[in-house]
Amino acid sequence: MLCEQCGKKQASVHVTKIQNGQKIERHLCKECAQQSSEFSTGIDFQNMLSSFFEYPQTWGQKARPKQGCPVCGSTLTDIQNRSQLGCSQCYTTFDSEVNTLLRRIHGTTEHVGKIPESSHGRIRLERQVQDLREQLQQAIAEEQYEKAAELRDQIRSLEGQLDGKEG
Amino acid sequence: MGIGDAIRRALSSWTKKEGPHGDIVLGTRVRLARNSKDVPFPGASSKEQLQSVLDQARSFPDVLKDEGSFVFYDMAEMDALDRDMLVEKHLISPNHARHTFHRGVILRSDEDISIMVNEEDHLRIQVLFPGLQLQQAWKHASRVDDCLESKFGYAFDKERGYLTACPTNVGTGMRASVMLHLPALARVNRLREVLGTVSQFGLVVRGLYGEGSESYGNIYQLSNQVTLGHREEEMIEHLERVTKQIIQSERQAREYLSQPERRLAVEDTVYRAFGVLSFARILSTEEAMQLLSDVRLGMDLGFIHHLDKEILKELMVMIRAAHLQKIMGQNLPPEERDKLRASLVREKLNPQALKKS
Repeated sequence: MLCEQCGKKQASVHVTKIQNGQKIERHLCKECAQQSSEFSTGIDFQNMLSSFFEYPQTWGQKARPKQGCPVCGSTLTDIQNRSQLGCSQCYTTFDSEVNTLLRRIHGTTEHVGKIPESSHGRIRLERQVQDLREQLQQAIAEEQYEKAAELRDQIRSLEGQLDGKEG
Repeated sequence: MGIGDAIRRALSSWTKKEGPHGDIVLGTRVRLARNSKDVPFPGASSKEQLQSVLDQARSFPDVLKDEGSFVFYDMAEMDALDRDMLVEKHLISPNHARHTFHRGVILRSDEDISIMVNEEDHLRIQVLFPGLQLQQAWKHASRVDDCLESKFGYAFDKERGYLTACPTNVGTGMRASVMLHLPALARVNRLREVLGTVSQFGLVVRGLYGEGSESYGNIYQLSNQVTLGHREEEMIEHLERVTKQIIQSERQAREYLSQPERRLAVEDTVYRAFGVLSFARILSTEEAMQLLSDVRLGMDLGFIHHLDKEILKELMVMIRAAHLQKIMGQNLPPEERDKLRASLVREKLNPQALKKS
């Protein structure tokens, strides 16, 4: 059967709906169905996200935690129903579930962006050291030994600051 | 108050000014989601907890005084029409206008910056600039963020970054987007191809009013998909790069349409649209948006000279239901709105026609 709308492609979406007591049948190709607003695939943001919160089947039933978050009381079921976590503590309470979720959504679990100015001087330093280490590797690979020596000194000095903070 | 007064009434500055690449990029938005570390996210908070966040937010205009003149509004004390107008101006989300208890908004006087309080997250900082100004918008948003951070202990995790109610925003909490007017690509039937390609590069395309909204008048929003694993500057640069590609293909399509063998057909569409807008007595939002898009294309191609370039942006906000009803100072049924919309557009496009009729 050809698509009713364009008459060119095979109709692959078949919808029957009752409107004002009358039965209406429509047969469209995938492209035309997507364009036509009266068709809903049932895929929306909320449903999709909520399905992401479902426990990975490979883990079986045994491991699913029953208890809620100690701060806000949210259980995994609450979180799935809301498609939202309850509080910042939930991220720790449901650590492994959250990581699975973040990998599904973002493909990673690691933040590399902005850090709050005031309270996280240490993280800043750690990141700076990490950056410098990467530059050092590059400098060595490019046989720029003078630059490498400079970078090494910078790293040592920052690491000194880090040790100071730890103590 | 007459229609003329309403037309002259101040709109948000992003709708009045033209920015870089303003012939295609109507506006740029950067929004940051932030939460308090001491209170559960709004969806799981008690009334008292929400109220405490709202009370804290009342002091934000003072905290932000170096960034301009800000005013705090309690959503529950705001008139329903005023709330809807803020949605139509893209300053708050539709959700924020519907559920008003213990919610607030802080606006800068030029409406370039808005902060929603107790939406899905405790704070949603938004910067909205005309044209393509992603870097500038990000810098502004980040400065406001720094000011607020000093007063509001943020929920931040070393591994996962800024923690948000919805895990799709975690990390940077940043959604950067550009609002694009792409009439020529639509006309040469290349829009789906272009927008489809874009989604393979980690970007999302949405309609004019965000998630799940229809696209009217060939206007699309393009924004970053993921918020974790990349630096903000990287995401901004990526979005800018892709946007510039789209700008280039829209320009090529416009050039193609201005070639002698095609020019007349386009001119015909443009002037028909101008004719209908200048004389119609009843206009739906959808029809008005499509025709305004045609007229704006005519201005960009140099067929129409006497109109203000920003007419599309101004009218696209002003012809919305809440703005129209505000003009008349009362709620109006849809048919009355369609009549008022038509006379507003006539006045703006063709004042002579209005006087004679």
